[in-house]
Amino acid sequence: MNILDKLFEKQTRQLAQRSSRRGILKGLGSLLVGGAVVPLLPVARASGAEPVGRPVEEGDPLSCDYWRYCAVDGFLCSCCGGTANSCPPGTEMSPVTWIGTCHNPADGRNYVISYNDCCGKSSCGTCLCQRDEGDRPMYRADKTNDINWCLGTASAAYHCSTAIVVGVAFEDQ
Amino acid sequence: MWMSPIKKYCAKNPAAVSAAGAALVALLAVGQVANAAQDSRPPPLPIEPTDVVESLPRDYPPNWFLVHDVGFFHMSDGKVYILDSAAETSSRAIKGMFNVSYMGNLAQSARRGEIYATEAFHPRGTRGDRIDVLTIWDTATLTPKGEVMLRPGKRLFGMPERYAVVTLDNDRFLAIANFSPATSATIIDLDTREIVAEIPTPGCSLVYPTGKLGFSSLCADGRFMSTELNTDGTLLKQTRTDSFFSSDDNPIYERPAVIDGIAYFPSIAGLVYPVDVRGKVAEVGEAWSLVSEQEREQNWAPGGIVLIDRDDQGRFYVIMHADAKDGSYQGGGSEVWVFDAVKKQRVMRIALREWGLSLGLSRGKNPVLMVVNPMTMSLEMYNTESGEFISSIDDFGQETPLMMTGSK
Repeated sequence: MNILDKLFEKQTRQLAQRSSRRGILKGLGSLLVGGAVVPLLPVARASGAEPVGRPVEEGDPLSCDYWRYCAVDGFLCSCCGGTANSCPPGTEMSPVTWIGTCHNPADGRNYVISYNDCCGKSSCGTCLCQRDEGDRPMYRADKTNDINWCLGTASAAYHCSTAIVVGVAFEDQ
Repeated sequence: MWMSPIKKYCAKNPAAVSAAGAALVALLAVGQVANAAQDSRPPPLPIEPTDVVESLPRDYPPNWFLVHDVGFFHMSDGKVYILDSAAETSSRAIKGMFNVSYMGNLAQSARRGEIYATEAFHPRGTRGDRIDVLTIWDTATLTPKGEVMLRPGKRLFGMPERYAVVTLDNDRFLAIANFSPATSATIIDLDTREIVAEIPTPGCSLVYPTGKLGFSSLCADGRFMSTELNTDGTLLKQTRTDSFFSSDDNPIYERPAVIDGIAYFPSIAGLVYPVDVRGKVAEVGEAWSLVSEQEREQNWAPGGIVLIDRDDQGRFYVIMHADAKDGSYQGGGSEVWVFDAVKKQRVMRIALREWGLSLGLSRGKNPVLMVVNPMTMSLEMYNTESGEFISSIDDFGQETPLMMTGSK
């Protein structure tokens, strides 16, 4: 068991039916996800033969172990009245954010995940989750979760973080 | 409305009630005189004034800390405690407190007797147009003695940093790191308390004092940008150094310990880069390893939020953890390793009682190491000569005390 598990072991037990949150504190998600800038992200566009069947993913969005949360650091919006890709009622989604690259075990692909923060209310306070995989200090703005990314929103108050699939990551050649 | 029989009687016979009250007062007075004549107790306490408010010494003792509880769960209610690490109990350790709203950063000027804090406010709590200010606190009274209005939404708002708000040129100027997410630095003249410049630092973050009047910023492409200022605080010149690390492959922490003008930046993998910031432009020296080959095999590496600090004896202290992996670099560690910066040698391993997340050192000859225990958020203190645990400060109303700084 690492420190991330230890820290919130007590709370995790209390919320075991809903969450396996881990983590220290800190926060917040990050890089430009407005429509105009999405093409800048390292996203592979669909081409060639289309796969058959339905897209698949698995896991519990209320759990810190959920695959999309690989680089998250903050309160999970799924536990705050929102979902993994939507904000709770009455909040505002930050248009500026940061990204991580997470592996979806259900289909074997890596996806670019945008961790847009939901803003305008005080800290949600539940399901604190810190995974930090691929995270970098704040000099790498596109990869840092140490910043309050409630930038460009009416309120600077950080509430929770989403984890939105914005594309399939380029595969290593 | 229902009224009790007594209330009804009183309401109907106010004269009788008044007479009964006077008789009761007279009886009590007689009783008090009789008691005084027979009272063998000490004299009663003197009457005390009700308007006394304590103050602190202008210059804080070297064993005091500024402990910033950033209020991660209630960010508009951050607090900075002034704590005496030599106090016998937690209750006696608290010397005072002031608020810092929305995760600001701090700097202290002993010469001016001031503490500076960046803050943000919404007039209706979490709503209303955002206001950003630099609040200037008086170290003796812990009251705000001034403020400088900042451009809203620009100052760095994130986990606490030692090099986000710094004084320059013997505390003549103050530099504030901005992140909107465009990066820049705001320069304030502390004599006039006015903004004299806002200097873009594109692609580069934070403000590490450099030379007599300048600062360096750490860039995403693995180099520094050094900014020289004119004597009035405006921009003179900016210089980018050569790239010395890859932020993808071998990133460094943005948190150095600065000893005698050399900033020691640990890397996530366990190297340390000495950077000479005494001249006008940062000069990166040769990196050396914090871990032995055997320790590297066990994946010992730095870890934590405010994971490094230094004492006044030329040593720096780093939180370390074994079994490091991707994602663990800010998670803290089980030990603090102490290094002689000049000799490039580890001089002590301190096994922490509990996991450590952030640390800080007091100033002076006998520094105290203070470590945040993330399980209880208590502050655990260690003797820096023996490495032995001294005591902990806890239950002082803290929530997330992530930044400890030895007072100046």
